[in-house]
Amino acid sequence: MIDKLLPIDFSAIGTNHLALAVSCYVVVFLSLFLLSLVFGVLPKLRVRKLRKKMQTAGDEANSALAGTMVSGEVSAAIGLALSMYFEELHDQESAILTMRKVGKSYSPWNSKIYNVINFNRFQR
Amino acid sequence: MDGILRFLAHSGFANATPGHLLMILVGLLFIYMAIRYEYEPLLLIPIGFGILIGNTPLIEHAGIALGLHEEGSILHFLYLGLLNGIFPSLVFLGIGAMTDFSTLIANPKLILLGAAAQLGIFMTYIGAITLGFNNLESAAIGIIGAANGPSAIFLASKLAPHLMASIVIAVYFYMALIPVIQPPIMRLLTTKEERMIKMTPPRAVSKYEKVLFPIVALLITGFIAPASLSLLGMLFLGNLLKESMVTKRLADTAKNGLHDIVTILLGVTVGATTQATTFLTAQSLYIFVLGAVAFMLSTAGGILFAKFMNIFLAKENKINPLIGAAGVSAMPESANVVQREGLKADPNNHLIMHAMAPNVSGMIGAAIAAGIIIGFLR
Repeated sequence: MIDKLLPIDFSAIGTNHLALAVSCYVVVFLSLFLLSLVFGVLPKLRVRKLRKKMQTAGDEANSALAGTMVSGEVSAAIGLALSMYFEELHDQESAILTMRKVGKSYSPWNSKIYNVINFNRFQR
Repeated sequence: MDGILRFLAHSGFANATPGHLLMILVGLLFIYMAIRYEYEPLLLIPIGFGILIGNTPLIEHAGIALGLHEEGSILHFLYLGLLNGIFPSLVFLGIGAMTDFSTLIANPKLILLGAAAQLGIFMTYIGAITLGFNNLESAAIGIIGAANGPSAIFLASKLAPHLMASIVIAVYFYMALIPVIQPPIMRLLTTKEERMIKMTPPRAVSKYEKVLFPIVALLITGFIAPASLSLLGMLFLGNLLKESMVTKRLADTAKNGLHDIVTILLGVTVGATTQATTFLTAQSLYIFVLGAVAFMLSTAGGILFAKFMNIFLAKENKINPLIGAAGVSAMPESANVVQREGLKADPNNHLIMHAMAPNVSGMIGAAIAAGIIIGFLR
């Protein structure tokens, strides 16, 4: 039906048109694929670098402690002390209630004297 | 007496044609859609009003420099902004300063959905050839499938300036109709189970990656498609201004004041190009038909590719195919449509974060496609 409405001529499509359409689409795909590849790999490289950095820092700390030998009992005592400390830790509150004073500067616009409806005045 | 006659001859009543009146109705329809249904009001109101300005009947070439194509007229100066690609580049600068690429960096495989959703461009190019348009015109019409106004203006101005009005109006018209066009295709191509797929939340992205993205992306895309540098260069510059955190003033200007000014000028000028004498042709009608097909094909391309990717992905990494529809770069409306459709299938499934990734990738893809087409044809 649409070919009666619109003058469609399928023979106008040449191989050059198809080649152009396909190759353009493929290039768009490839360029975005390249972008996704770079940003897929980048975080992994960064994590690896970070891990290496941490390892180096750990090695340095180990070499500094190389002379000191900590026995199992001492480690257990330190662990217990830390555990007790963190378990008994509570949020401390100051228990001071503060009421913020709201200062209202005088203005005739908010004055009660100038209210339009002032029943008290009538009652007097 | 001569003065009165001259005045009457210059009046709109003396020069009105049925075409002018029809186009004025079209302009009013755009304004109505924008205000009544809030379909892309930031674009449709300037464009609709531009249509009214461009179709107010007047005598052209009477020595008073009024018409769009008359040198020296204000409208002509604005038209040069379209014709020379100034407005599209500045719009991309603002978009870059507004866009957060985090979701895309967090899940880079979603970039491919933006590429897949460019299918409409190339299928429509073939469609336009069958309708008798020449090679350059067909390529310019095909870009409607990218659903990206600046890319369409850019490509049409380079390849087929005489069709620019129809192409650009078709793009913006169908972009406004995204909430109507996309949902039936999304439902047709996906099952209820697929629409209910919950995706894993995106990881946090470091500042280092965010700063690196515009630089790396510019270099990759610029080397592949240098013809799109005026668009992508500005897009990534705007994004770097935002993400570097040291040029806050420039980023604010790019995304607020400058972007708003350019949007107004672009909208009014695009609207004013639709003069009845050049716009109301059979070619414009074909372009509108092809534009609708292009939008549908691009939507389908994104969804089907998401389903294809799911074949290779582990169960916990599956993609909700609805987000493929956001690969058309109508930003952020297509992502909003995905969110709404996702919520219809499962009220607890929020897809907007995931949909933003193909959405911004589609924008990059559209600009790359424009650059590649120019590279092939010019």
